[in-house]
Amino acid sequence: MPLDYQIAERALANGLHVILSEDHSVPIVTVNLWVNVGSRHEADGHTGFAHLFEHLMFQGSRNVASGEHFSALMGAGGRLNATTWFDRTNYFETVPRGAMDLALWMEADRHGHLLDAVNQENLDNQRDVVKEEKRQSYDNVPYGNALIDIYAAIFPKGHPYHHATIGSMEDLDAASVQDVHDFFRRYYGPNNTVLTLVGDLTPDEGFDAAERYFGQLPATAAASRAPVDALGPLPEPIRDEHFEDVPSDRLHVAFRLPVDDTPEFFACSLAMDIIGGLATSRLYQRLVRREQIANGVSAHAMGLVDGVSLGFIGIDVADGCSADGVEAAACEELVRFAAEGPTEIEMESAVAQSERGWLSSLASQEERADHICHHATLQGDSGYINTFLDRLGELTAAEVQRAAARWLKPESRVVVAYLKQKRDDQ
Amino acid sequence: MTQNESVIERPSVTAPGPWSFPEARRAGLPNGLGVVSYDIPGQYVISLRLAVPMPLDLEPREREGIATIMARTLDEGTPRHTAEEFAELLERKGIALGAGVIESGLIIDVDVPKRHLSDAFDLLSEAVQEAAFPAKEVSRHIKIRLAEIEHERALPGQRAALEFIATYFDPAERASRPSAGTRSTISAIRPEDLAAFHAANVKPSGATMIVSGDLSDLDVVSEVERALGSWSGKTLELTEPLEAARAGDATRIVFLDRPDSVQTEFYIGSPGPDHRVEGGWAAYQVLGFVVGGSPNARIDAVLREDKGFTYGIRSGFRPRRQGGVFLTSGSVRADSTVEALGLLLEILDTARDGFTETETQTGVDFIGKTAPGRYATADTVADEAAGLSLEGLTTEFTTESLRALEDVDAEVLTKAYGRYVSGEWTVIIVGDATLYAEGVRALGRGEVEVLPA
Repeated sequence: MPLDYQIAERALANGLHVILSEDHSVPIVTVNLWVNVGSRHEADGHTGFAHLFEHLMFQGSRNVASGEHFSALMGAGGRLNATTWFDRTNYFETVPRGAMDLALWMEADRHGHLLDAVNQENLDNQRDVVKEEKRQSYDNVPYGNALIDIYAAIFPKGHPYHHATIGSMEDLDAASVQDVHDFFRRYYGPNNTVLTLVGDLTPDEGFDAAERYFGQLPATAAASRAPVDALGPLPEPIRDEHFEDVPSDRLHVAFRLPVDDTPEFFACSLAMDIIGGLATSRLYQRLVRREQIANGVSAHAMGLVDGVSLGFIGIDVADGCSADGVEAAACEELVRFAAEGPTEIEMESAVAQSERGWLSSLASQEERADHICHHATLQGDSGYINTFLDRLGELTAAEVQRAAARWLKPESRVVVAYLKQKRDDQ
Repeated sequence: MTQNESVIERPSVTAPGPWSFPEARRAGLPNGLGVVSYDIPGQYVISLRLAVPMPLDLEPREREGIATIMARTLDEGTPRHTAEEFAELLERKGIALGAGVIESGLIIDVDVPKRHLSDAFDLLSEAVQEAAFPAKEVSRHIKIRLAEIEHERALPGQRAALEFIATYFDPAERASRPSAGTRSTISAIRPEDLAAFHAANVKPSGATMIVSGDLSDLDVVSEVERALGSWSGKTLELTEPLEAARAGDATRIVFLDRPDSVQTEFYIGSPGPDHRVEGGWAAYQVLGFVVGGSPNARIDAVLREDKGFTYGIRSGFRPRRQGGVFLTSGSVRADSTVEALGLLLEILDTARDGFTETETQTGVDFIGKTAPGRYATADTVADEAAGLSLEGLTTEFTTESLRALEDVDAEVLTKAYGRYVSGEWTVIIVGDATLYAEGVRALGRGEVEVLPA
C-alpha cells in the first residue's frame, strides 16, 4: 500500500538540510536532528567519545545553563533525549507547538555554541554518568557484553564498527576538554546535520523557524569522509566462548550483511525474519516448538552504512540440552534455507509483519521524524518512509534465497557463546 | 562571537493549543461484553485490547502463575488449529497477538493493520473461546517459565523487585509472591488445570473490548458482535478488593549479596495511594516527576548531575486496585553504595518538608502538557483504557486527572506526599555485601539482613 506522508525539504545557505512533515492531528511538534557522526568516526584510543560528547550537549551552551535543556523543555511539556550509535548522533524533543521556537533556539545554541560552556567539571561528571550507563547496561548484567563481543569478532581491527558505541573505560578516562573542542569543530555544524520537524505546522512556518534560529550558524563541519571499502561475508567461521555465571547457555550467531538501503540488504533482512525472527520462523519451529532444545530465538538485521551491515540470531539453549547440538541444528537450517529459499507463505508472513512493524513505528510522530532524519542523513533519501514497504514488497523469493546463500552461510558465521560451564565439566 | 552573528533573543513559550483525550464511544453486547472504541484518524494500525477482570488471588495457592501460563498458551492451539497453524494464520496477516496478566486481570493485546482487522477479530475470538491447551505446548511454556525464573534472579533489578514484594507485603498476601509463579507452583500446573481455570474465569460478562485507531468506514460494534457475540458465560461475582497488608516487619533493609557486582541496585518503597485517592491522583503523578522523573528531579540532581554515581534513578507512585506503593529504584557505582543510599533516603525523607512552587509548576506542566503526545497513538490510548477498565475506571479518569492538575500547587503536593510517606522504608539492596553491608549498617537506617542473591 502506498503511503503518503507529506514531505517538504529545503537546504539553508549554510548547508542545513531541513525537512518538514505537516501533521495537525495533535497540537505538538517533534524536532529531530541527526548529526552525521557516530562511533564509526572515533579514532583508536578515543572509543566512546561520540556518546560522551552527546551527554555534554545537555550541560549548557553559550546562552543555556547546564541542565537547562532538560528543565526548560520538560517544564514546557517537552519529552526529549538524545542517542548515539555507530553511524550517527541524534537529538530530539517533542513539544507543544507553542514551545517549538524555544526548542529550536536551544538546539541552535548548543549545535552552534557548545564550546563556550564546556569545562573540566562537566566533562568529569558526565564521564562518570556514562561509565555508570556502561556498568548498568553491559557490565552488571548477564550476557551484557555479547554485542560488543560480536562487533569485535566480526569486523576487523581498525574497522569503524569493530568497537561498540559505549567504548572502553580506559578511553573514556583519557577523554579531555581539548578532545571535546576538536570533535565539535570537526563534526558539528549545519553542513553535517539534518533537521526534521514533524507536526502541527506548515512547511513555510517550519522553514522560516529553521532559518531564524539556524540560518546564522556558519558551515563549520569538515567534509565527511567517504564510506570505507565494502566487506564481503567472512571467509571462515569465528568462535568466541565465554564461561560465566549465566542463568542459561546462550548462543549469538552473527553474520556480515550488505550495506543498508540496498535490495540485497532488504532481502537479507527478510531472510533473517524467516530464519529466526518470526513466531513461525524455521529456527523457532524446530528448536523451540518441535525439538524443544531452545527456549527462545530472535533474529535481527541491523542496517549500517560503512561498507557492511550486521545480522544476528540469539538462541537461548534449554536447560540440559547441548549448546553444540543447538548450533548444529541452526546451521542445518541455514544450509536448508539457502538451498530451498523461502516458501510463498514465509514471504507473505515476513512482508506482512514488516508492514505492521513499519506502520506502527510511523504511527508515532517522534519515530516518524526519526526515520525521516535517518534516511535523509545516511542515504540522502527524505522520502524513504513512503517507499520502504513498496521496495520490500517487490523482492522475490529468489532474491531472498540468493542473498541468504551469499551472506548467511554457516561458514561465514561468528558465534559468541555464553556458557555456564566448560564442556569438560559437563 | 564572530562579528556577523546577531544575537537572537530567547523565544518565549506560548500557550498550548486545545486538546482532549480521544473520545470514547461505548456500547455493550447482550453477553455482557463492553465495547469501547476510539477513532484516531491516521492511526493505520488498529490496537485491540481485551481486558478480562481476573484478580490474581483467584489462582489456587499451589498453582500460582496459572493465569500467566494460561495467557501465554491461549494462542497455542484450538480444536480447529494446531499451535503452528495458528501462528501462521496470525503472521500471514501481520497480526501481533500477545497476552499477559496483571494484579487485576488478563489483557490480550492485538495490533493489526486496518485491512486485516476482521481476521484479527476472528483469531482473537478463537483464542479466547476455544483455547485447547495441548499438553505439548503447555509443558513447553512451563519449561520456558522455569528458565525465565532463573533469568529474573540473575538480573539485579528484577532480583531486587522480587525480594521487595517478599519483604514489603505480608506473607499471607498474594502480592508478596511473583505474579507469574515460582518454581514449585509452576511445576504443578497441568493442562487440565489450565482448561478449568480458563473455563471458570475467561468470560465476557464484565470484560471490555477496546478498539483504537483509524476507525473510519468501520462498524466496530458489528465487528465485535460478529466475532465475540456468541461468547458466553458469567464470571464469578468479584468481591471488592482489599488493600494488600504490609508485613509487620517490612521497615528494614535486606542486602542481597551478589559478589563482585560493579554496581549496586536499590529498590526502596513505602505505602502509596491507588487511583481513587482522596484529593485526586494528579498530585501523585506530579510527585513522581518532581522526586525522581528527570535528570533535574530531586534525586538525579544530586546522585547523577552532582555526584555522578548513577545513570539515573526513578521514583513513582504505583497504584494497585486498593492502595499502592511509592517506589524508588536504580543502580549506582559499587563504591558509592553507602553514600548513595544515605543521600537517597535523605532526599526521600526531606521531601516531606515541602516542595517549591517552581518545581511543582514544572511537574504540573510536564504531566499536563506532554499528554497530547503521550496519548497520540492507537496503542497508548488502548493500553490506558485497558488498564483502567480492570480497575472499574474509564479514560474519563485520565481526562479528569489532567484537568485536576490545575488545582495542584506546592501545598497540595506537600500534603499529598506527607499523607503516605512516613519514612518507614523497605529497602532492598543487591550488591557486594562483603564490601558494603557494614557501611550500610553504620548509616543507622535500621536493621540490615544479608542474604544470598
